[in-house]
Amino acid sequence: MIEIHDLSRTYGAVKAVDRVTLTIEKGEVFGLLGPNGAGKTTLIKMLTLLSRPDSGAFTVAGFDASHPSEIKRLIGVMPQENNLDRELTARENLLIYGMLHGLDGLERRIEGTLEMVGLLDRKHSVVSHFSGGMQRRLLLGRALMTEPAVVFLDEPSIGLDPQIRRQMWDLIRKARIDGRTVVITTHYIEEAEILCDRVAVLSKGRLIALDSPAGLKTRVGEYVVEFVNDEGRLIQHMCKSRAEAQDVSGHIENGVTIRRSNLEDVFIKLTGERLE
Amino acid sequence: MTRLMEWYPIYLKEMLLFKRKLFKLGYLFSAMVVPLIYLVAFGFGLGRSVQTGRGTYLDFLIPGLVAMSSMNNSYSWVASSLNLNRLYFKTFQVLVQAPISPFSIMIGEVLAGMTKGLFASVLIMVVGFAVSTHFRVTPLFVMTLFLNCFLFACLGIVTGMVTKSHEDTSTYSNFFILPMAFFSGTFFPVDRAPTVIKWIIYIMPLTHTNMLIRSAHLDGQGVASLVVLLVYAAGFFAYGSHLIGRYSE
Repeated sequence: MIEIHDLSRTYGAVKAVDRVTLTIEKGEVFGLLGPNGAGKTTLIKMLTLLSRPDSGAFTVAGFDASHPSEIKRLIGVMPQENNLDRELTARENLLIYGMLHGLDGLERRIEGTLEMVGLLDRKHSVVSHFSGGMQRRLLLGRALMTEPAVVFLDEPSIGLDPQIRRQMWDLIRKARIDGRTVVITTHYIEEAEILCDRVAVLSKGRLIALDSPAGLKTRVGEYVVEFVNDEGRLIQHMCKSRAEAQDVSGHIENGVTIRRSNLEDVFIKLTGERLE
Repeated sequence: MTRLMEWYPIYLKEMLLFKRKLFKLGYLFSAMVVPLIYLVAFGFGLGRSVQTGRGTYLDFLIPGLVAMSSMNNSYSWVASSLNLNRLYFKTFQVLVQAPISPFSIMIGEVLAGMTKGLFASVLIMVVGFAVSTHFRVTPLFVMTLFLNCFLFACLGIVTGMVTKSHEDTSTYSNFFILPMAFFSGTFFPVDRAPTVIKWIIYIMPLTHTNMLIRSAHLDGQGVASLVVLLVYAAGFFAYGSHLIGRYSE
């Protein structure tokens, strides 16, 4: 569905995205995982035609950047920032968006979208009166309103409480069931593990690993041996198997724990950075 | 929606926002207060001693205030809102990511700016009818007013696209719009200015708006002013469309 080849983007002296090459398959939930400044948002901005690459190329459903209108008709975008018109109502926001995208049967679509994100009863409320969670849900609804083939979700659950976050996840799963390709950036490990079929790990603009969450763990180590050293530092040692973990832990005197690894462990192992 | 009407959602959005602002007393007050202060200060004060060549000073001043008000409102609304929507609210990005042309974005934003400029102008015209018995609205006056609103709305787009912060918008306004308001023949006839100053004055588009809006009919000088305004309008429109088309974060 999306082919990215050698894509780069530099801001001043900083290489925000550095020669990234990857393919996103049709119908998968694809995660871009990395800490702040890893290049996730810049990559999404290029794929959604908000930012021009310095070099490299990409296609969405076979269309390259020289066919912007075709790409824009295929995609829905939920940005990291809230870019709703705060002084307009929920209905007015969706009405304008629907008109910009040339949709028919707008009132029906608006009702359907608001019902999907649980905001039908707030249809005529001004968005500035919404809570943060309600605004994020409306943003997601707006991105899905055009029934796009590809949905880009940039940190969809950032700043949300756990209950609302789970509601967002349900909506994202529904988008996948409906056959959409979902590209999601996140620095929430749990989100990536639960939602994503495959995950690309980015660090300082570079793609450093790409696999399913389970595949990444298998490759880097499925078990973690943890202990606190004499200086009070938490030491983590990743092992390929439980037997190896037990072997490693046998050399440590006390306070040692063996547990299954998660994506954060994988990330730290690959990048030396912690997700914050 | 046809390609010809792609601009309409942008215009509609701006009008919905404008309608909300209209219901706030502060907006109407702010749209009128500056021209009214000038009207009182110059029309009923300083300007009494000014010789305009024909009619009273108020007859001279009112069309100038209409032109100035149309410039200020068309320009400021567009420059300020585009700058804020691009840099802070990020709503401009929704337009860029929609399957519409940069030309349509330009048209929608400019028409919205023109509407706001015309609205403020009508308020001043109402005051003009009340205080000046010779104030007339001719077809040439209306055409010039529309052209002036269009020109400065286009300039507002250019400013809104090139400024890197909201503070920059004020800087541009202080360097270009404010001097134009005072030195382009709004308050005093420009024909008695020193030659060097006169050249600078004739570069400013508002000078030509003021000359044209006060003309009873389109004579040779009026045609020249019209051409200058059209050239400015076309230039600003083309450059604004180009900036929107080249937009990249």
